[in-house]
Amino acid sequence: MKKYQLGEFEEVVMLTVGILYDEAYGVSIKKEIESRLKRGVSVGALQTALRRLEDKGYLKSREGEATEERAGRPKKYFIITAYGKKAMEYTRITREELWSAIPKVALDVKMT
Amino acid sequence: MKSNPPKLSLRFFRWFCHPKLRDSIEGDLMELYEERKLKSGKLKADAHFIKDVLFLFRPGIIKPTEGYQNLNTYAMYKNYFVTAWRNITSKRAYAAINVFGLALGIACALLIFSLVRHHLDFDKFHAQADRIYRFVTEEHHGEVEYSPNVPPAFGKAFRDDYAFGEKVTRLCTLNDKLITLDENGEKRKFQEQVAFADPEFFEIFNFPLVAGKADGLLREPNTAVITGQIAKKYFGDQLALGKIIRLGSDIDFTVVGVLKDIPAATDLNTEIYFSYSTMKQYNDWYAADDAWGGITSEIQVFTRLQPGVNPTEVEAVLPTYVQKYRPKSKNVHHYKMQALSDMHFNAQYGGKMSINTIWILSTIGFLLVFTACLNFINLATAQAVTRAKEVGVRKVMGGLRAQLFWQFTTEAGVIVVLATLLAFAASYTVLPFMNEFFNVTLSLNVFSDVRLLLFLIIVIAAVTLLSGAYPGIVLSRFKPVLALKGNLKGGPGSFNIRRGLIIAQFTISQVLLIGLIVMFYQMRYVNKMDMGFDRDAVVMVPVGSRDQKLNTLKTQFEAIPHVEKVSACFGSPASENMWGTSFRFDTRTEAEEFPIYFKGGDEDYLALFGLELVAGRNVTASDTVREFLVNEKAVLKLGLASPEDILGKFMYANGGSIKGPIVGVVKDFHDQSLHAEIEPIFITTPRNFYNSYAIKINMAEAATTLPAIEKAWSAMYPEPIYHYDFLDDQIASFYKAEQTMLTVVQVFSAIALLIGCLGLYGLVSFMALQKTKEIGIRKVLGGSVPQILWIFGKEFSRLVVIAFFIAAPLGWLLMSQWLTSYVYKTEIGVGVFVLELLIILAIIMLTAGFRSLKAAVANPVNSLRSE
Repeated sequence: MKKYQLGEFEEVVMLTVGILYDEAYGVSIKKEIESRLKRGVSVGALQTALRRLEDKGYLKSREGEATEERAGRPKKYFIITAYGKKAMEYTRITREELWSAIPKVALDVKMT
Repeated sequence: MKSNPPKLSLRFFRWFCHPKLRDSIEGDLMELYEERKLKSGKLKADAHFIKDVLFLFRPGIIKPTEGYQNLNTYAMYKNYFVTAWRNITSKRAYAAINVFGLALGIACALLIFSLVRHHLDFDKFHAQADRIYRFVTEEHHGEVEYSPNVPPAFGKAFRDDYAFGEKVTRLCTLNDKLITLDENGEKRKFQEQVAFADPEFFEIFNFPLVAGKADGLLREPNTAVITGQIAKKYFGDQLALGKIIRLGSDIDFTVVGVLKDIPAATDLNTEIYFSYSTMKQYNDWYAADDAWGGITSEIQVFTRLQPGVNPTEVEAVLPTYVQKYRPKSKNVHHYKMQALSDMHFNAQYGGKMSINTIWILSTIGFLLVFTACLNFINLATAQAVTRAKEVGVRKVMGGLRAQLFWQFTTEAGVIVVLATLLAFAASYTVLPFMNEFFNVTLSLNVFSDVRLLLFLIIVIAAVTLLSGAYPGIVLSRFKPVLALKGNLKGGPGSFNIRRGLIIAQFTISQVLLIGLIVMFYQMRYVNKMDMGFDRDAVVMVPVGSRDQKLNTLKTQFEAIPHVEKVSACFGSPASENMWGTSFRFDTRTEAEEFPIYFKGGDEDYLALFGLELVAGRNVTASDTVREFLVNEKAVLKLGLASPEDILGKFMYANGGSIKGPIVGVVKDFHDQSLHAEIEPIFITTPRNFYNSYAIKINMAEAATTLPAIEKAWSAMYPEPIYHYDFLDDQIASFYKAEQTMLTVVQVFSAIALLIGCLGLYGLVSFMALQKTKEIGIRKVLGGSVPQILWIFGKEFSRLVVIAFFIAAPLGWLLMSQWLTSYVYKTEIGVGVFVLELLIILAIIMLTAGFRSLKAAVANPVNSLRSE
């Protein structure tokens, strides 16, 4: 089985793009992650991740409309490609396989 | 409200961000900024913005340094070459002028490079050459004389007394010595340059053996080492080792070693070496341990210093020799060390190639290429207008300025490469003649010679950039709209630069021309100058012995028909063979401070050479020293008021061994080449110092007289080899080296002039083409041919005159400098400059005149008919 490389933050970004579906562009992705995961996301980190994902072929982008508040700059919308979907599934399956491989006892820790 | 985030930060972002990402990210940043400003105020929003931009400064976002558009530009590069080729073929005449001019320049530069390199390579092939030095002497006696020699006892003393020298060798070089081979009773004779050398000679200098034992070479007395070439000449294919060769009439040497042939780039080019331990048999004084009395041009001493020894350290101890061995001498010796690398170039110490000449040649080489480049630039900028449409179209199609610049540089490059190929072919053809002329063996092989290859690459690159850059800049500057509309007249600025270039070129040409004229005048002056004695139709023949036979042969010579006069003498009045001695005059107790130079000759000497007496009488016939003649200079230097005052006084020369009364004073004559001043001279009659017969003959009958002289000589002396020289040739040989050099400088200067003319011709033809319509209209309106010629003439004559005022002082300065090496020299008068200006104007008229005349007489109908 082919290896799909997907880092933790990249996975978060992919999932968020999926959640936002047709509305995923820089600012909306940033806000979605910040509100759902309660963690700060810098524009730099996000853009780098997006670019990397696009280079890998997991995401593809299209230019959107330019608006007043964006000083006439177009939005760049991202959607997940079929290949990206495979990568996400792969990550998910490997996670689940790993989860299911953990013996019950190991997780049976008393939280005190 | 319009948003305005921190400007600097935004600009920074725009600068580093990848252009593809820039817009969308900037949009995100702006959106966030607006939002934050509304929520938490401008200050916080600004801070956030700056932070965001800083966090964006990371590898994924920053634009790559090498462009991001990977277009396939090979087709464009190919097009550069295609365009270049089309241009060359469509404007054949200009291309030919460019290629030919550059080829001439580069060919000369190549030849000069190989010549200069050959000389710079002299004696570089010895191991640790930087530690090898020659001992030289400065003789201080009123004036200072420089001699590349030291007293005969110096070498051994230095080796024994000091540990500075790792190796020390004496070298006694003898010219024209008789070598005899005795093979089964059959004698073969040769005249060769030979040298006595210490065994260390072959340890200091890198002359490898091909046969024989290197260990202890030349240690034994009566042993010899010869080169393979000599071995072949003497013994053919036989084994040379163990063979006997005889020096002079009685010293035999056994060959114990054969050297690899001596390379061309060395001044130590003797091919026969004898062991120095045999010196005593050849010359007692040279071998003596106390021979500090004088120096001879035959003996040199070389050393390779110990590592880390500074030559100044060594020079500091050398005065002790003077104190120890020459405490009283008026001729104070200062022993110095001369680096091996200086030997070939220091004319003071007999260097064969003055470093000045190297510089002059290199400069001319540079100027040659430079003028060719100027031609190219001139022609290219003049033609810029014709390329304007092309530039316009290329720019409209999106050509960048830098691309256009490189296109025109490529075009220059194509022409330069063509020119270089042609230059290579040309210099290859000329090389054999040059080798013969300089008596050297230069080669031009790019494949085996890294430095030549490097030189070629540098020349091609430099010439391409030099000649391609400026036209490239001018052409790529054209505004596309103007260029396409066709109203480009090559702005006034570029025209002025072109004028500047023409002035530069005329200046170079004129400086060279002034140089040529002055050199020519000086050589004519030297050749025509009255040496103060008669030198025509005099044959010099060596003496065979210095006994009674000498006198007998003289009588026999006199009996030969058409021999007008014969004199046995030390040498001709002017010769490089000088023998100076200190002397005491009259009743003065101290020796004079200046040396006096010896010219031996019998009673016929004055008459034969036409030397005039100003006081007293000629010497009487004698075989020994009885009476003296001196020259006016000697009288002057002795501080006597008139020549009559010296008559009858005694002089004591050579430590008193040569003494007698002065009976006459001769008028001054040049006793050396014109590089040197007239020295005090004395003439006397010691037969045992005579070297030559001077024989004055009737030149019309030379064909019968010369064989008769040889016959008489050979009958008297069957053993040695007979040879003769004409005195004129001997005197001309004083100037042979510089004559050679001058010829070269002249030839190359002439070529530089030619290249300049080529460029001028091209420029005028182009002007004529441009002005075809103008000329037609002028003629229709009644302009005469001279008026039209003047259109061309006035521009160029103005530029020539401006260039003249730059070139004249420059040329005067340079040539005055050059003339300082002559004591007797021609004046650089106004005449030189007038002549120069006339010549350059004539040259310009010839080159420009024909083409402009053709334009001026053309029928206006032809030029105006088509539009």
